[in-house]
Amino acid sequence: MAWTKEEELRLRKVIKDSGVNLLKENLVQGTWGNTAVRLDEDHMLVTPTGLDYVALQPEDMPVVQISDTSVWSNGKKPTSERKIHAAIMSDRPEINATIHSHPVWCSVLASARIELPVMSDEMQKLVGGPARVGAYGLPGTKTLKEGTVAAMKGRNACFMANHGVFCAGRDMDEAFEIIRVMEKSCREYIKQCTLKITGQLEYSDELLFDYFVSKYGK
Amino acid sequence: MIDNKTKEVVMQYAAKIVAEGMNGKGDRIAMRTKDGFCVNDASAALDTLKEEDLIELPLDTDDKDFAVIAKLFSKRPEIHALLYTHAPFVCAVARAKATIPAVLDDMTQIVGLNCKTCKSATTDDLVKGLRKRNSVLVPGGGALTVGRTMDEAYTCALVLDKASHAYVCGSVIGGNKIINCIEAKLMNFIYQKKYSKVNQENISKREGE
Repeated sequence: MAWTKEEELRLRKVIKDSGVNLLKENLVQGTWGNTAVRLDEDHMLVTPTGLDYVALQPEDMPVVQISDTSVWSNGKKPTSERKIHAAIMSDRPEINATIHSHPVWCSVLASARIELPVMSDEMQKLVGGPARVGAYGLPGTKTLKEGTVAAMKGRNACFMANHGVFCAGRDMDEAFEIIRVMEKSCREYIKQCTLKITGQLEYSDELLFDYFVSKYGK
Repeated sequence: MIDNKTKEVVMQYAAKIVAEGMNGKGDRIAMRTKDGFCVNDASAALDTLKEEDLIELPLDTDDKDFAVIAKLFSKRPEIHALLYTHAPFVCAVARAKATIPAVLDDMTQIVGLNCKTCKSATTDDLVKGLRKRNSVLVPGGGALTVGRTMDEAYTCALVLDKASHAYVCGSVIGGNKIINCIEAKLMNFIYQKKYSKVNQENISKREGE
């Protein structure tokens, strides 16, 4: 064990707070989504599976071995998505915190499987370029893990097809900045597409709804 | 008589629906009780809801305003909570009388394989539309969502709202890619029977059921 008890306690609280903050900032619904923080080069703390963030306690977060995620201790059963968190941490030594979630606007692009172009200097700085879409796979599968790792190459965020978004930072604060800029950029992209397709100059949700109803309404 | 815990849960989730902007005209929030179900009175809007606006009705009520709720609680014993809400993107799909396909995997898990706009707002059509699903859209109206707990019904409404965003916006940015039916069924089964079971049991205790 290459970390102190104090550091572990601090990071347990970081994970607990990250879940609550995802809920507060409307970046997740219910029990979906999970976060992880690195303890050392081969260990991380992750959120447990299937429990809501409000009820979770810092001591519930299991310590998971990055090189073999079937090995875990000191907490409740870890999220089935731990393999993705571990794969990113293994592939990217500079990454110490990861967030996987399903915010509304990111989910639109994940569902359409469309790459998000760079929408701002802030996105370029935080994400590192256009956000790609990883290959579709069922939750917990090798396909989903490998697709996410490939889409994250040289980036700090990517979409997971029909699933959500994955973000990675040097610490949890940075990972949150990344997920926020992704959500903001997706929203802006959708607005721009709506204006382009409708030929209007000013965006409103009503404009989008009217277009949708006229094209898909029965 | 409605117990204090039920009143507390209903008031708490009514406030959450309003905070999320999912409220609108004709909203309903209902929770199963020992003697029937607790629901907001037909004239009581969620944004001004008070505890005294909550009424309790038996499952065999003949009040037409609450016939759908009574029938659903009678037909589906696993359901303990029901919401009728009006999130704007959901209402856009209901206005188009469209079906939201399996655009997101959390939608397939909690809402169902798709979410249809039913033919009409009659009790029979709504109950039919909810078969093997936890949500149905009312043509020109909002969404009916149900759950094993109030928390699950609320989460279902949130996820449905997100799926509506994906479906509506997807039409503008290039079209949705749909999850295949077998994978959607598998995810729904695992979520309903395994993944969410412990959590829903914990929440059920918290909600005093």
